[in-house]
Amino acid sequence: MTDQIVDTDPDSPSPERSGLEPGGYPVAEGPFQAVQRSEAWQSVFRHPQLDTPRGRALQSFSNVFLHIYPVKVPARVLRLRYSFRLGYIATVLFAILLATGVYLMFFYTPSVTSAYGDMQKLRTGVGFGQLVRNVHRWSAHLMVLVVIIHLARVFYAGAYKRPRQFNWVLGVGLLAITLGFSFTGYLLPWDQLSYWAVTVGTGLVNYIPIFGSTVRDLLIGGEQIGQATLLRFYALHVAVLPISLALLLTVHIWRVRKDGFAVQRGGHGAFAEEATELPEMNVVLPPAVGTAAAEPPVSSVPAVAPPDDGRRVRLLGVVDRQSVTAEERLTDDTVFTWPHLLVRHVVVGLGTSAVVLALGVFFAAPLRGIANPNLTPEPAKAPWYFVGLQELLNHFDPLVAGIFVPTAAFVVFVLLPYIDRNPYTEARRRKVAITIFTTVLVVAVSLTVVGALFRGPGWQLIAPWRRSYLEL
Amino acid sequence: MARTVTRRSVLRTGWKIGGGLLVAAAGWTSYELLRPLTSTAAGGKISVGNKADFEVGKAKYYAEGRLYVTAVNDPTTNKPQLFALAQKCPHLGCRVPFCDSSGRFECNCHGSIFNLAGEWIQGPAPRGMDSHPLTVDASGNVVVDTSKTTSGPDHSSNVYSKTAKGPACAGGNG
Repeated sequence: MTDQIVDTDPDSPSPERSGLEPGGYPVAEGPFQAVQRSEAWQSVFRHPQLDTPRGRALQSFSNVFLHIYPVKVPARVLRLRYSFRLGYIATVLFAILLATGVYLMFFYTPSVTSAYGDMQKLRTGVGFGQLVRNVHRWSAHLMVLVVIIHLARVFYAGAYKRPRQFNWVLGVGLLAITLGFSFTGYLLPWDQLSYWAVTVGTGLVNYIPIFGSTVRDLLIGGEQIGQATLLRFYALHVAVLPISLALLLTVHIWRVRKDGFAVQRGGHGAFAEEATELPEMNVVLPPAVGTAAAEPPVSSVPAVAPPDDGRRVRLLGVVDRQSVTAEERLTDDTVFTWPHLLVRHVVVGLGTSAVVLALGVFFAAPLRGIANPNLTPEPAKAPWYFVGLQELLNHFDPLVAGIFVPTAAFVVFVLLPYIDRNPYTEARRRKVAITIFTTVLVVAVSLTVVGALFRGPGWQLIAPWRRSYLEL
Repeated sequence: MARTVTRRSVLRTGWKIGGGLLVAAAGWTSYELLRPLTSTAAGGKISVGNKADFEVGKAKYYAEGRLYVTAVNDPTTNKPQLFALAQKCPHLGCRVPFCDSSGRFECNCHGSIFNLAGEWIQGPAPRGMDSHPLTVDASGNVVVDTSKTTSGPDHSSNVYSKTAKGPACAGGNG
């Protein structure tokens, strides 16, 4: 590994660079400076925090967690409007769910005889137990919502197009895992709401032809929902799904970096390509794309930028030059991740935490009576994100509603980047795709709203302002 | 030109086949591990009493088998006929309650209605109620075999009376 960073930024005076060499810690006296000069400190923090381009780059290079970010990002990425930070918010919610989930695990036994009692004890006999449960519940619902909006946002921006096709597929996988999380968690309180929502939800699986009942049996582990189901859902919820999500999320975020940001560039249409790191087998980008496409593949990039008009910064990482860690930017178009993007992420993260904390303080997570297989509620609704499907099943033949529509929708969703061959990303040049997607979205939202709000006992239509049967 | 088989290509193919077998074995063992062996909930034979105990137009509930036994007048022979109907709605698996006032099964989950023979009358259920075979021995004892389940009759089945004898239970007073 060579520790070579070529920095041609004019406002980076060379004397400061010497401060990065070993022993370059501040010489000023004081107790803290003395600590900073100690071997122990320097073995942890490899370099001082310098407010120079090189120092900011090193912040990213020398921190394993910051490696998930590129060292520099296009300035437009900083705008809230760029992505609305939806993917990041979903990640923050996942972190909150992990933290609160671990706390809840200390007080919960996945057994039909004690699960419900544990929930009641959590409410009344554990400090902040109710609050943590509320935050966990609302974060979970919010995460499903945010992930869905994130997906829609990416679609409307056309950001799933080359070279980001596979990251879209990963994203759909993450949505599926998120739904799995919410659905398995739904059963754990073992109250009437969980029992019947999961009964109805797993009932939907039965409509899959040929292997539907096998899948359902595997899922619930028996003839009807019972101890086996609770234990299975618990294992999925606390072990299988968190590991799957963490793995997939790592690849997803890493690919955001490797595939490059979708950046809107003036004069070249909407979201033209601006790959952070172009792979060696460089794709031929559509002609409307702009300057990034005209660059040669990274492998042929020399260590020091050829003298162009001086508007470029070329930053080669401390990793092997043969690998793909070269970044090219117009000097006026990129900023350092540290601190610009990180500060914004911290603010959004705090905001997200504040929202779920407020929800947790003001709204209690529901807990109905203990699960009773002999007492059918009126009505029994699937969790809200599956209610649309339940509503659809009410209108159409199960073959259509249970099989054709969901399967087709899922397959098209996963393969969307490979089906949609239109290279353009601006809305006015992809009217067909946007019309179809918007129609599907509107239908899905309408079915969900009708199913969740307007259906009462016997699945009869009922106005929600007369009596609400919405269950969250 | 004949394709040459090299040591390397043989090994490479061998690794692929071996890897594939390993994945298949892992999948199969996981499936066997997670598959519910016997449906512990249902499966046994349940004695539900004597034939004479059942009154035409009524349903008796047996929690241990999660089923109803109903007696219906057969329109062709005009003799009472017994049915052992699974409580689980073929729609989405809710327990279907029996409504005494209408003499029908009315699912308050999603509004499916069935007659005493389990035939579909209305609602989103894709078929009639599932049933278990039942046997009557010489002394009139009725035994239901819950290990076997017959899928309910489809929507067109119209052998037994579907008219309600009174007001419905579901769909109004929550």
